[in-house]
Amino acid sequence: MSWPDFRFPLGGWFFLSLIPLVILYFLKLKRPRLEIPSLALWQSVVNDQRVNSPFQKFRRNLLLLLQIILICLVILALMQPFISAGPETDEYIPVLIDCSASMSAKLPGSDQTRLEVAKERVQAMIDNLRGQGKISLFTFSSGGRRLTEFTDDQQLLNRAMDEVVPTHRASKLDEVLRMAEAYARTAAVQRVIVLTDGNLQDRVDFELPFKLEVQRVDQGGNNIGITEMTARRSGVDNSSAWDIFVRVAGSGDETVFGEITLTQNGNTVGKESVGASQEDSERLVFSVDSAESSLIQATLEVDGFDSLDIDNSVWLSLPKTRPLMVRVDAKMYSWQHALSVQPDLDIDAAETPAATEYDLIISNNEELNGIHAPIMIYNGVVPEDLADLISIADLTAEDEPVQVVDWANTAPLLRHVRLRDVQIGQKASFAEGADAQLLEERGYEVLIHAATGPLLLQRRRGLETAFYFLFHTDRSTLPYRLAFPILVRNAIESALQQAGLAEVAAVPTGVLPPINLEADREYRIQGPNDVVDTMKSNSTGALNGVQADFVGKYDILDGSEVAVSIGTGLLSPLETSLTSVEQLQFAELSVATDETKVIDSDRHLWWAFAMLAFVFLLIEWWYFQRMRGATT
Amino acid sequence: MRLNPLRRLTNRSRGEHLSGKGGGSTDFADYRDYAAGDDMRYVDWNIFARLHRPYIKQYLHEEELHVVIMIDASTSMLFDDKLLKARQLAAAFGMMGLLNVERVSVYAIHQQQGKPWSLPPGTGRQKIRPLLKFLEGIEGGGNIPVEQAIETMLRFHRGRGIAILLSDFLTFSDLSRSLNLLFSSGLEVWGLQILGESEINPTLDGDLRFVDSESGETLDITNAGELMSLYHEHRQWYQETLHQQCRSRNGRFTSINSSATIEETLFDTLSRQGWVLR
Repeated sequence: MSWPDFRFPLGGWFFLSLIPLVILYFLKLKRPRLEIPSLALWQSVVNDQRVNSPFQKFRRNLLLLLQIILICLVILALMQPFISAGPETDEYIPVLIDCSASMSAKLPGSDQTRLEVAKERVQAMIDNLRGQGKISLFTFSSGGRRLTEFTDDQQLLNRAMDEVVPTHRASKLDEVLRMAEAYARTAAVQRVIVLTDGNLQDRVDFELPFKLEVQRVDQGGNNIGITEMTARRSGVDNSSAWDIFVRVAGSGDETVFGEITLTQNGNTVGKESVGASQEDSERLVFSVDSAESSLIQATLEVDGFDSLDIDNSVWLSLPKTRPLMVRVDAKMYSWQHALSVQPDLDIDAAETPAATEYDLIISNNEELNGIHAPIMIYNGVVPEDLADLISIADLTAEDEPVQVVDWANTAPLLRHVRLRDVQIGQKASFAEGADAQLLEERGYEVLIHAATGPLLLQRRRGLETAFYFLFHTDRSTLPYRLAFPILVRNAIESALQQAGLAEVAAVPTGVLPPINLEADREYRIQGPNDVVDTMKSNSTGALNGVQADFVGKYDILDGSEVAVSIGTGLLSPLETSLTSVEQLQFAELSVATDETKVIDSDRHLWWAFAMLAFVFLLIEWWYFQRMRGATT
Repeated sequence: MRLNPLRRLTNRSRGEHLSGKGGGSTDFADYRDYAAGDDMRYVDWNIFARLHRPYIKQYLHEEELHVVIMIDASTSMLFDDKLLKARQLAAAFGMMGLLNVERVSVYAIHQQQGKPWSLPPGTGRQKIRPLLKFLEGIEGGGNIPVEQAIETMLRFHRGRGIAILLSDFLTFSDLSRSLNLLFSSGLEVWGLQILGESEINPTLDGDLRFVDSESGETLDITNAGELMSLYHEHRQWYQETLHQQCRSRNGRFTSINSSATIEETLFDTLSRQGWVLR
């Protein structure tokens, strides 16, 4: 049997208050006086042996005894007695709590979510905290957040625990581990505790400098949810038809059925039954006609128990359909020819541009005279800010023909493009001391390499992407190769993608993609769960970094007018699957996740003493009232 | 109505109570053998003629009975009209005595020091008025215990008869000595305890501090309600003790409630117990 310990032993000094109580009791004890003819009979009664029995003596001061017991119980409750669940610790322990979407999953047969179970365990650790031990609380989902310093202040930790709420994001352990590592440098941290459902990527790109103790909460129940939602233009030419693809995945071994309802701006446009299990996901296709921009919502209604609700709704913004606007310089005939065979393009090849905004600009000159596009291809142009690093020169008779030695075939512009046999009549050379590293430092990425230097550069700035062919394509054999129309098609695809005209995907929770709005203007963001924020667009009109932590629709308001509506969804197959990894693979070692480890909590006894004190207070009140009633 | 003493304790002075001794009244009492020196006038000659032996004829002797009424007028008797009841009973006993040509004296004793209030012994109907006036004039208050009151009375009293003690008999001391003194003084002890309702059936509970009305002493009582049964036991035991003490001295004892009417007390309680004859 373990004896109770006290969290506030100094409260024992309050026992000294018993001394004045006893003194006051005997000083102030005032019995009602009653004059009687003679004490003779009563004296003999009092002198009777039975009256002088020990029990009667005890009862004489019953009120005082009750008060002493009452005070003792109150003081004991104040001293916060507890029965220890384990030895004291002097460790500094960062505790990382998984708040990803899958932690919202309800446990089968219970209303508790996984996060609530995890919080109970952390609460037990906080309650057990004594000695020199200190805890620092972190939460993580796709990112990490530190809630407290290393502290043993239970009130502070309890307040921080109130802030631990589930997010609608996927989980990622790396970032919070890096935060913990950085923070661990301020104290001697031997181990880090992670409380998670194990719904993590099994490979973690992190070198562990401390021991990681992963405690896994119980498995959730069956779940199905929408893990993917995309839209693709289905028609040809100027058709406004879109194909909406919705993928539904499940977590259980058995197929769970439900019904997907698709609404367009609130009107139901499709409804279909769906079934999914862990092994088999189902992809549904809906056809939607949307000439103007519209907001599509897919909602999944599950037949029976569904562990996770937040993956049942996804929003998708369809843009207004129109041809891709391409500006190409008047004298770029090879490009014009390649573009002319591509469908659904509005090509402006006039001497003077007809508009200021295009989807794709192909130019011989870096100076665009006030026209803009998200994707620009410069032909035979060295960026002005790289003039000191790169020089272009025509080949002389003595020079070897310039050939491509390498290219980034994963870049969108160069997908399926073969440049091996392309010969180029110009050569680009690095200035002395310059190299690709310096270009990268200035924001340029080399996509095509020649033996002497770069041939194609890519620069991303905000929403704009610029490609710089350092050589003029007309001074190469590129326009005569099969690679050229493929490259042009890739450019069109990229422009379509950027303009959202060909394919759009639902936005997952986290951060909204950059939104094109008016430049330097303040917008109010109104989202689900009463999220309200105000942000300002930058000089290019892009509204960046809008937090979208919750699944739902986000309205970007310009005053009281809705400028743009964007919806988000969980869209994480991993989160929807609710699977738990058995082992996390770190850079050098593996860490097993332990499901069985349950932390015993200290058993607090203060409430029992407080209850007893209350009972004694009632008894004392009753006894006192009885005495008063009798004497009156 | 007349008082009914258990023994014939009378004074030698002539009265209306027949003494146990042979007397000169006309009522025949008994015969006895003639002894030398007897008055020849009391020889029954008819019997002598038949039996040829002299027998003395005895007659009852009517002597005076002294009725001493002692009223305890201490402060304890002021509760529950006990003193009033004592005065009423004293008047009744006194009237009985005077109307039956007995010698009646009354003592009202209240203080430990000083002379007690007293009505000098007297007899005859002419004493009725002084008796009633004396009783009306008795005021209670004082701290004398009953045993001292008896002894005080005996210092002034002369004569044999009945001592009627009207008191609550609530005293810390033993009454044996006082009763012995009464008995040895030729007085038949009639103890009449008068208790109030608050003493017979007290309704008390809780922690109390009792204050003695005479001495001012205090006594702390805890849970008085739970001591009631013990109190009643002690009260009954005390009454039985007093009864025993009186009986052992050829006396009487009874206890009455002060709230009972005088008619109930006289015609029922005392009459049934043979204190008075109708």
